[in-house]
Amino acid sequence: MFFDAAEQFINGVMYGSLYALIGGGFTILFGVMRRFNMAYGATIMAAAYVSLVPLYLFRAPFWLMVLTGLAAAILIGLLVEFCCFRFIKKGHELAPLVATIGMLIAITEAIVHATDAAGLKYPSPFGDESLELGRFLVRPDYLAVLVAGVLCFTLIFLLLYKTRLGRAMRAVAERPEAAQILGVSVQRVNVLTFVLTSALAGVIGFFAAVSVGSARPDIAAFVTGKGLVVMVLGGLGSLPGAIVGGLVLGVLEFQATWFLGASYRDILAFLILFVILVFRPRGLLGARTT
Amino acid sequence: MRRMTGLQVIALAVALLLVPAWAVAFQNEGTLRIGGMWALSGGAAFFGKAALGLGTLAVDEINEAGGVTVGGKKVKLTMHPQDDACNAEQGLAAVRRLATVDKVLFSLGPTCSSVAEPVFGTLQKKLGDAGDTGLQLLFFTDTATKFGLAKLSPWVFRNTPDEPAMYDFIVKYLKENRPELKTVMVSYESDFAHSAATWKGALEPALKKHGYHQVVEVVDWKWLDTEMGAQVTKLRRANADVYFALAHTTSMCPSLKEMKSQRVKPKLIFGITSLAGTEVLLNCPDLAEGVVSPTNFAPINARAKQIADKSWEKYKADSNIHSVPAYENVHLIKGLIEKAGLTNTEDTLLQDRRKVRDLLAKVGTFQGVIGKITLNPEDHPVKPRDVDKDMLLVQVKSAKWTVFWAPPHLKQN
Amino acid sequence: MDYYIAIASIIGIHTLLGLSVYLVAISGQMSFGQQGFFAIGAYLAGMSTALWGIGLLPALALGAVVAGLMGFVVGFPALRVRGLYLAIATYGFGEIVRLAFLNVRYTRTIGDRVVGPNGAEGFRHVRYVFDRGFTGAQYLAIILAALVVVIVLYYLLERSKLGAKVRAVEEDETAAATVGINVTQVKVLAFAAAGAVAGLGGGLFVHYSTYIDHDMVALPLAIAAVTYPLLGGLGSFVGPILGAVVLVGLTEGLRALHELREFVYGALIILTMIFRPRGIVDEALVLRVKTWFQPRAARPSGPGAVGVPAEPMVRP
Repeated sequence: MFFDAAEQFINGVMYGSLYALIGGGFTILFGVMRRFNMAYGATIMAAAYVSLVPLYLFRAPFWLMVLTGLAAAILIGLLVEFCCFRFIKKGHELAPLVATIGMLIAITEAIVHATDAAGLKYPSPFGDESLELGRFLVRPDYLAVLVAGVLCFTLIFLLLYKTRLGRAMRAVAERPEAAQILGVSVQRVNVLTFVLTSALAGVIGFFAAVSVGSARPDIAAFVTGKGLVVMVLGGLGSLPGAIVGGLVLGVLEFQATWFLGASYRDILAFLILFVILVFRPRGLLGARTT
Repeated sequence: MRRMTGLQVIALAVALLLVPAWAVAFQNEGTLRIGGMWALSGGAAFFGKAALGLGTLAVDEINEAGGVTVGGKKVKLTMHPQDDACNAEQGLAAVRRLATVDKVLFSLGPTCSSVAEPVFGTLQKKLGDAGDTGLQLLFFTDTATKFGLAKLSPWVFRNTPDEPAMYDFIVKYLKENRPELKTVMVSYESDFAHSAATWKGALEPALKKHGYHQVVEVVDWKWLDTEMGAQVTKLRRANADVYFALAHTTSMCPSLKEMKSQRVKPKLIFGITSLAGTEVLLNCPDLAEGVVSPTNFAPINARAKQIADKSWEKYKADSNIHSVPAYENVHLIKGLIEKAGLTNTEDTLLQDRRKVRDLLAKVGTFQGVIGKITLNPEDHPVKPRDVDKDMLLVQVKSAKWTVFWAPPHLKQN
Repeated sequence: MDYYIAIASIIGIHTLLGLSVYLVAISGQMSFGQQGFFAIGAYLAGMSTALWGIGLLPALALGAVVAGLMGFVVGFPALRVRGLYLAIATYGFGEIVRLAFLNVRYTRTIGDRVVGPNGAEGFRHVRYVFDRGFTGAQYLAIILAALVVVIVLYYLLERSKLGAKVRAVEEDETAAATVGINVTQVKVLAFAAAGAVAGLGGGLFVHYSTYIDHDMVALPLAIAAVTYPLLGGLGSFVGPILGAVVLVGLTEGLRALHELREFVYGALIILTMIFRPRGIVDEALVLRVKTWFQPRAARPSGPGAVGVPAEPMVRP
């Protein structure tokens, strides 16, 4: 019993770091722009598909797949920014939400038609068989997600707190008008925010497809669902919140699946989300004021 | 003026709705319309497009051979496919479009059982009773497999797999041929009607009936789940001889990946019926190696091979357990049309549909692509208007489906 | 004709769903959970006619009332939460309802049919409408009648004192509270009423489709429900109606495009939002239309006037 709980806890933390990355992507964008990007999941899914192109063309090594995925995600991200954000003026927070829903539909359909809605095999460079650490079995791709999560968040925090761009992003996040007066180009920061979160989408797409074993259209819905929940659970716009939210959701799901079964896993997850929000209306680590 | 552009775009788009259907063409124009309702967009499009391709291939063959004889005149078949995106509301509109705008004689499809439920539910239940205002459109289904759908309306016939018979056969086969495999473990998708029904309505009753195997573990997940670590750990501890994975490709592949990583190696793995197609081979060919699945189609004879090649070449359509029936259904109905004495005019459409329906109800046994198919009569106690047909077991070997077991009479082909 | 009646029926049912989101939205909240109330209404009204032999109208009323009560019960805790947090909290509620129905089994054998909610296998044989010989046009008339009742209520609401209170809460909660409006009461009432409207839509839907299962009330329905009022506009109840007409109309109207259909559908949503960021019928348009019917002297002008949002309406 204790061993089982521990084993599922380890799995939950590893898989939860994928959730944290997804939530992180949603959170950075929301934090800086105060807008929802519902097309983020579709960007991740499309990036995973595109990263397969060099593999199918000339058996490219996996780092080239990751780079292709990153490049594709950034291009799609810029397209989303151009179509759904750039021309919608301030004061219309809900318009990009609806526009990106349109984008979600359009991107998904583009992929569905290019592939006849078939999932495509996505090889794992980390090996298929679990490592044996004592009595525990640890999936190498999950371990890689954990490492990638630590790396990505370290890089993001360095970027936000040690670079000029990071300072500009935080300035725009906190007081956009003031930032503009101080000479920060909000437009430029917005575009760079999209580049950053889309690059992250490329990484997420790679690890999501590796962990499932194939690139599939429904990755978009999976990522959107988990991302929104993690973002809100942790607290809107709070990056540490996204990390905590992702890990909490991961651990919770694994324990619930083991002890209660998959049928009650999601009910329990949403009940806990609901209760947390009622008692902490700004999420686990959300700011008291906005 | 730019402000108006948005409104104009919308107005234009809505105006498209009012575009009338294509000019109605019937006997006097030398055509006869047939329809199909499939998921041609969205996540289930792989199956929808395959069935559309095979149905269209049959139409091509018939037209190339001169067409169908109606009232002493050769007319060409025209195919009117409608997309339901595997969405019930779109299906409910599409069925009326087929019935009253496209004015088709009969429809193939639908792809998803969740669309078939409301669509068949709105068809007439009491045949010819004016008090029952359900739609009068003949369906001859190729894909939607959920047990009992044909009972919803006398206008529904299906050429789909009979899963209780299939799993009954598998359990009996195992008991007789592999008596050393005694323990069984099962996984199924608790939120997917087809998968849940295959476990509760087909496999579990079969295991109980034959009373030989011992079920040591049953786990479930959702069909779009990406992570099955906890469930597979349970399967690993159960360590049964035979594993029934009643899962569709979406959850089958990640669960097999998890099995490999946890080194769970049952002696034999059986998949769900819908698995025996190309989809799983695109998703996880190596992981699926060795998986056995029941099916009604495999390219085991010259004709079947030719159909599979041609449909792929012409329409990139996968010939599988669900799509080949679309081909068979079109050919069967073509024969019935010639016998039914249709007038093939717009005004007599309802009578024409009824005539073909009544003939279809009495068709009995007919020739399918790989063997004989028996369409059960309307008074069949268990599965009226559903088929009994040859079943075989196929196995993934080197990323291809190969025959694992076939009834002796099929092998001679 | 049947085809156009079918489209109109679906538009009517989805309009109720859109109006439900709209009512929550004009009290300043965004709900992604109205499909949960839709599901409650559908299952309850379906069980009423198919299992308990109740007539159609009482069944619809029962579904709506129970969904409304549920909105009342959920409203109290949920409305502590605001903005996008509430959007996700309500989505959580919708999912809990959906997953609960996934696990509900309550069937009876009537004749040769097994009727009732049957877990993942769904709830079939809700055939009251077809067994009683209603034609498509007659059932459409019932849907439209229900819609007209709801719209008249909305119209009266928007012109009433209560409606002004609701709008005031949307504009500025704190200010509304200082002028003596009971903000919680207004929001909970709006939430309960919105639940009832969605429940009514659900009841009408299940009798139209004869079948309901958990998959039909999942995320795609939530997204559609929110899109209707946001695309149609939050300026007036005409918005969600127009949103449903446009979006359902496009889904069907673009059939001639075959494979490109859903793709163009998505692109048109984006275009609409670029040109009409506050929806097709936004506050400014409502105001402009209103001024047509007012004597020149009474026309309001400038920010702060009723219906003119405080923020600048920058237009492309």
